[in-house]
Amino acid sequence: MRRLSYFVREALRNIRGNRTTTLIAVATTAFTLACFGVFLLLYLNLRGVANSLEDDIQVIIYLADGQSPQAVADFQRRLRAEPEVATLTYVSKEQALADFRTQYPAEHQLLQGLGENPLPASVVVTMAPRFRSSEAVKRWAERLNGAPGVAQVQYNRDWIENLTAVMGFIELAAVGVGIILSAASVTIIASTIRLTLYARRDEVEIMRLIGATGAFIKIPYLLEGAVLGALGGALSLALLRGGFEFFKMQLGSTGRLLGIDSNFGFFPVRVSLAIVLVGLMLGGAGSFVSLMEFGRTRS
Amino acid sequence: MIQLFHVSKYYDRRPALHDINLQIKKGEFVLLMGPSGAGKTTLLKLLFCADQPDEGQILVQNRNVARLRPRDLPHLRRTMGFVFQDFKLLPKKNVFENVALPLMVQGMSAFDTRRKVGEALKAVGVEHRQHSRPPSLSAGEQQRVCIARGIVNGPMILLADEPTGNMDPDLSSEIIELFKTINARGTTVMIATHNRQVVNQVHRRVVTLNQGRLVSDEGSGE
Ligand SMILES: Nc1ncnc2c1ncn2[C@@H]1O[C@H](COP(=O)(O)OP(=O)(O)OP(=O)(O)O)[C@@H](O)[C@H]1O
Ligand SMILES: [Mg+2]
Repeated sequence: MRRLSYFVREALRNIRGNRTTTLIAVATTAFTLACFGVFLLLYLNLRGVANSLEDDIQVIIYLADGQSPQAVADFQRRLRAEPEVATLTYVSKEQALADFRTQYPAEHQLLQGLGENPLPASVVVTMAPRFRSSEAVKRWAERLNGAPGVAQVQYNRDWIENLTAVMGFIELAAVGVGIILSAASVTIIASTIRLTLYARRDEVEIMRLIGATGAFIKIPYLLEGAVLGALGGALSLALLRGGFEFFKMQLGSTGRLLGIDSNFGFFPVRVSLAIVLVGLMLGGAGSFVSLMEFGRTRS
Repeated sequence: MIQLFHVSKYYDRRPALHDINLQIKKGEFVLLMGPSGAGKTTLLKLLFCADQPDEGQILVQNRNVARLRPRDLPHLRRTMGFVFQDFKLLPKKNVFENVALPLMVQGMSAFDTRRKVGEALKAVGVEHRQHSRPPSLSAGEQQRVCIARGIVNGPMILLADEPTGNMDPDLSSEIIELFKTINARGTTVMIATHNRQVVNQVHRRVVTLNQGRLVSDEGSGE
């Protein structure tokens, strides 16, 4: 207990002792973590969008006109039995016309000109989760296309596929950027601790002579690095939050035209804590590196 | 307790110590004499494992210091006390904290630490300065703080390098009496000095070095 308070006091004293380098270390760590955070934020939000889109991957099966109600009911029963089908909604010709009228009130004369109702009846199917890949949807839709009583099969898979590709790219970039920036943070914190160690080398030597173990001497410096890293992580969250709110505001004024609603979210608490924790670990790793060097130059 | 066999130490090929053979038994009080540059500090440093000899073997408490594993070194040092010629006090910590350090690294409780540090500071007469930082003390006061730190953990061996170098004769003889008391309680004491007054006051074994060689070893107790 007593030692713990000693370690904490020593670490804080070191941090206060060289304010300028501490500030620089925290700021640069924050900046590097924030760069990574931008990718993460983008990724998490796009994944949210993609997931919600996946939820309504729909296959619309337009039925040929002039079938008996019995045949339509049979067809639906057969569909329901298929493993690909999660939910199934039947839209009759009349329903389709009513939907069209409410959606496009200005154009209803268009249909009137044609006399009888030209819209086909349809069955709207949402796919079962394990059949939502583009391959599976395509295969199933093609099989249905030739079935009796089916006029046409439509599905909205393609652009989801594009989104997935973009996300794969972001994922890759995030990992690459993350590795480079982590290395940068470790280096920055390592050199900060190196400065502290250098400034205190006589003190370290005296501690050794007095019978302090290596661990006893090193722990305050490890703590110092961890604290700097965690502070950097916290500051990066603040930066990200600020940037995020600004972005949302900009989007609020111009984005509505593009049909993008402000459905974007910031990191959940869990991810925020993880970022601070990552900062902490990077900082610890930084001081570990410089302590290793320090140990080598001494012996 | 302390044994040296053919110990030599070179700095830039010049011998600071040359072929030293020395045995010191438990409970002895040894004065290490010699002119400036004779190698006194070098010898004490080797005994304290702050440096390694280039030739020969050193045994401290029957342990060969050359074969000591790095992680055993702190534990050996905790059984020794050292008074440095240049004090080696931590300038940013106050007197109390400086003296408490050897106890702190062993994880002693706050209560026992306070008691022992209080006793040590009182023994050297600087308890009234315990909240000051070393740079604000006189050289003689700093030296006494350094002595307090050396004796605070009740060491088996006390090595003191020129411990009265910055003191007037009265204070110096007080400090020597303190060393005698500590020795009487069973601690092996070795003091490096070129102060004749100390020799006259102590009447114990005197080992003399000159230019790194052991030139005389007199009055070996019994
Ligand atoms: N770190 C060092 N590097 C180079 N030479 C050294 C070093 N330490 C000591 N010496 C040399 O070794 C010799 C012995 O030095 P030492 O400090 O042991 O003498 P001393 O007997 O303690 O002298 P004093 O009474 O002045 O303290 C001296 O010639 C000194 O110059
Ligand atoms: Mg000396």
